[in-house]
Formats: sequence, C-alpha cells, structure tokens
Amino acid sequence: MEMKTRLVDKVNIVDIIGRFDANTVAPVAAWLEQMTTKPGCRVLVNLSETTFADSTGLATLVQAMKRAQQHQGEIYLCGMRRSVYMTFELTRLDKAFTIFADEEHALKAFAK
Amino acid sequence: MLVSILSSQYARFAALAESWLALGASAFGVWQDGHPLVYWPSSHRLTNPSLRAPLIIQGTEEIGELRVAGITGTAFEQRLRADAELISYLLQLEEELQQITADLVTSQDQQLALYRLTQRMREYVTVEQTLDVVVKETMRILKADVCSMLFVPSSGQDALLVQQPEGFLPDDYLWQLYWQGLATEQPIHLPKVRPTDGPEGLYNLLYLPLRIRNNFMAGLAIINRSGGFGTPDIKLSKAIADQASAQIDRVLLYQEMFDQAKLRTEMDLARRVQLELLPPTLPSIAGLDIYAHSRPASEVGGDFYDFVVQDGRPFIFVIGDVTGKGLSAALLMTMTRTAIHSKAQFMPYPTPEAIMRQSNEDLYNDFTRVGVFATALVGQFEPGSNVLMYANAGHAPVIYRPCDGEAVLLRADSTAIGILPVNPCRNQRLRLGPGDLLVAATDGFTDVRDHDDDLLGIERLLQLVNASHHKSAHEIAEAFFAETEDFGQGGKQDDDQTLVILKGAVS
Repeated sequence: MEMKTRLVDKVNIVDIIGRFDANTVAPVAAWLEQMTTKPGCRVLVNLSETTFADSTGLATLVQAMKRAQQHQGEIYLCGMRRSVYMTFELTRLDKAFTIFADEEHALKAFAK
Repeated sequence: MLVSILSSQYARFAALAESWLALGASAFGVWQDGHPLVYWPSSHRLTNPSLRAPLIIQGTEEIGELRVAGITGTAFEQRLRADAELISYLLQLEEELQQITADLVTSQDQQLALYRLTQRMREYVTVEQTLDVVVKETMRILKADVCSMLFVPSSGQDALLVQQPEGFLPDDYLWQLYWQGLATEQPIHLPKVRPTDGPEGLYNLLYLPLRIRNNFMAGLAIINRSGGFGTPDIKLSKAIADQASAQIDRVLLYQEMFDQAKLRTEMDLARRVQLELLPPTLPSIAGLDIYAHSRPASEVGGDFYDFVVQDGRPFIFVIGDVTGKGLSAALLMTMTRTAIHSKAQFMPYPTPEAIMRQSNEDLYNDFTRVGVFATALVGQFEPGSNVLMYANAGHAPVIYRPCDGEAVLLRADSTAIGILPVNPCRNQRLRLGPGDLLVAATDGFTDVRDHDDDLLGIERLLQLVNASHHKSAHEIAEAFFAETEDFGQGGKQDDDQTLVILKGAVS
C-alpha cells in the first residue's frame, strides 16, 4: 500500500493505493487522526486506486468519520472500485458515509 | 637513561676503560651536561681531556660524551668516536625497548579495561543502560572529563541521548556531530577547539559514528581529554566504539526476541479467551440441523458465535466479527458477545431487532472511544414455526438457499454495531422449513486469497452452497473449510473463519 496526500481547495486529500487492510492501515490512520482533529476539517479519502479494504481499513475510516463529526468537520469518500464499494454495501457503510463517484464531484460538494 | 645504562652495564664500561688505560691513556670517563658520571682511575676527573666523542641518539640529541686523557692522535680519536657510536646505538636500543615495554603495559591495561567494559555491558538488557555504562566506562578508561552517546532507533521511537556530566554540551551540538558523522561516516577529531569555535568549556573532542546493523544509528563523543587524543587513544576509542556497537546490536536482538515472545503469549491468551467463550456444545432444536465452528487465524481476530437456549423461550443464535486483531479484538469480542447474550437471555420479549438496537446503545460509546465496530447477525427461531426472524447489522456473508431455489446473499439491513448512535435495523423473516438452508459466515472466508492475490469472494461461496445444499449442516461446514483451504493453497490464514449453519429439518 502506498499513500499520497495533497491539499486541493482547502481540502486535505489522501490517495490510498493498493490494499487497505490490517497490515497497511497504520500510516493512513495516523494521517487521518492528525487531519480530523482540526476544527472544521475537510478531508477527502480517494479510493480510486484502492484494490481491497478489510474490516480494519473500514474501522479506520469510521473512526475518522466520528472524529471529524466531533470537531464539526467533514470526511467524504470518492472513486471506489466496484469490489471495494461492494464491501461498503455489504456492511451498509454506504449509508454511513457520503460517497462520491470521483474527486471532482466530492470537491464540488465541499465547495457548496 | 645514560645513568641507568651505566649502572646496569658498569662492568662493561670498566672493561672499556681498562682497554683505554692499557693503550696508554691516563684516564677514561663518561660526562653529561658538563659533569662527570663515571671515570677511571678514580683519582682522575678528566676535567681536561685530550680526546672527546659525543653520545648522540635519534640523530641529533646529545645526551653525554666519552672523555680520554693522556693520549692523542687520529687513530685514538677514531677509536673513541667508534666506541661513542656503539654506546649511542645501545642507548637507542635501550630507549626503544623501554618504549615497547611501556606500550605493552598500556596495551595490556587497555585490553583489561575493554574486557571489563564488555563484562559490565553484558549485565544490562536495555539500550539506555548500555549507553550509560559505555559513557561512564569510556570516561574512566580514557580519562576524559565528558562523554556522550546518542542512539537513534530505526523503529521511529524516540532517540536516546546520554551525557556525563549532564548538560555540559548543548543537545543541539551533539546532534550536529551525529548528523555530520552520519553524512561522512568518518570520525571527527577536533584536537584544539578555540573558545570562539565551539560551545563553552569545550577544548578537544573525538566523535566516532557507530555502525549498528549496517546503519550509523549511534555515535560516541569523547570530550576534553587532558593531553589530547594520540594514536593509541584514538585506537582505544575505536575499540570501545566497536564493543558498544556489538553490545547495542545484541540488546536490540534480545529486545526483538522478548517482544516476539510477549506477542506470542498475548496471542495464545487471546486465542484461549476466544475459544473458551464459544459454546462448548451444539444445541439440539426441533426442526433444525445446526452446526457451528470457528477456526482462529494465526493472528487472532474478533469472530464469535453464540447460542441462547432456554425453556419456554425461542432459540436465539448470533454470529459476529469485531474489527481488529490480537488481545484487544478478543476483549472487545467478549464485550460484544456478553452485551448481546444478556439481552437475548433476559429481555422479556426478545426479538433480533430489539437485541441489536439495545446492544448498539450499550456498546456505541466504548466502540467510538477505541475506534472499532462489530458486525453481527442475530437470528431467532421458534420450533415448529418454520420461520427464522433475524436482524443483520452489517454482517456478511449470510447466504440463504431455499429448498426449491438458488443460493442468494442476504444483505445487511443496517450498519454494524458501534457506527451510528441508533442502529436502524429491522426484523426480517425467512422461511426455514425442511431443506431450507442458512449459512452465516465471517469475512475470513470471502477474504481468503490465492497465489495470484485473487479473493475467494462471495460468488464462489454461493456456488458452494448450491453444490452442497443436500448435505448435513456439518458436511456443508466441512465443504466450506475445505474450499477455503484449497483456494488459499495452505497459505497463512490471515483472519478467523467462523460459520453457523442452520438447515431446516423434519421435526
């Protein structure tokens, strides 16, 4: 797994590339913790190059979402491949997160 | 030295004097700095010699002279010079021998000091203790006023900086030495530091970068040695640094082995917790063929299943999976299982929806604090009803195959426990009459990977259910485990594999 972070239009974006599972989750979790504890944070997780997410990966995103809510911030997800989206569907996390088809749509939503 | 050789070789000098006297000289003697040291005959002090020859060592240093009285001539002059050169050469050899003896003694002392250092270092089992003892022993062995060691772990933990006496040099200066040593991979020797060129109080310094596991992870700074750092001192310092590197390496290895052993113990404990809490026997319920089994992974996860069987109340079963691994997952699994079990056992009118909602309320705050969630399927079966009522909080895969149809995946109707403050799950109903089949498993089955890194996935499990639906619940479970083992080709099992199978039977 590789992670890349960027700042676009005051939105902190992380690209998660490859497998997002118990063995690779640590750096993403650390970055998300740093970002989502800022009041009014705006964080976008781009999963377009994520090939697999296990329950530990999902738990990391859930924790970031709850933390962002506590700090009046927002975290969006975007660009999921079919297999990863299916994991969200099966666990009904698609109902808990705001998910966009791609980064462009997510950034537009942040801009509103 | 001239005096000492005259003392030790007095008889030989006397023989030399006799030979000169036999040649016709009236006296023979050795002088140093304008004073006689020894002379023959004892009545003649040789204040006015007829011949003189200097005793010179190391090419230029005159340390005395030979004197003869009563004879003159070129031949005697040459003979006296030859005697002086011979004695000078002997003196030179004597001096070298003394130096070698002194070096040998110093070397033995140093070897002994190094041996003591090695022995002392072995008494300590942490890097910090090792740094402490190296610093103290280096000061003692090299007679330095100040010594410091810096260790930067590769694991990203905090660096360790030890200095005796504490705070003599600023930490920033010691870090600068470390970075310079890391960049050049060479010792830094500052033989004379002017007050304007370094921190206050520093007048000389030797810094040695320490190679540990092929990386310069540490450095030894020896500061303010009276007399400076000669070649033997630098050699000794390097020997100490080598010993310190080897010891830190040993300590790191020991710590890794210790951590692994601790982890193994934790894993064994987690596995015991997990297995001990599973129901020891399978329930016998009229109208159901039931089988359940959990196969823990090499790194224990948070899977569980549970049955609640009480006279006069419906049969309730649970399968769940708490996120995370190891002892923490096992403890959270215990919490989840207990929360669900107590509600299923003690609620006046339990339904899957009510059990799930209340369990979510109980666990939500704790789960939020530690950042986990738990998927769960709670099912309830009234014998004779042929109906299964269930609620599914984010759990997958749950597969249903009616006796007259194809296997389908039952999707969860709400998010997992611990995600939302109020869980919106609802009671769902299924026919579970003779031949109808429900297989509830955990993601340890779907996430098995083959050698191409492909996942086993849900489709293969649906096909497996279709292919084995005619078998008993136990046989279907065996087919599931065989399929995952075959697909994963005996590779390491990353996650727990747990399943509960309910097959409708004639009561």
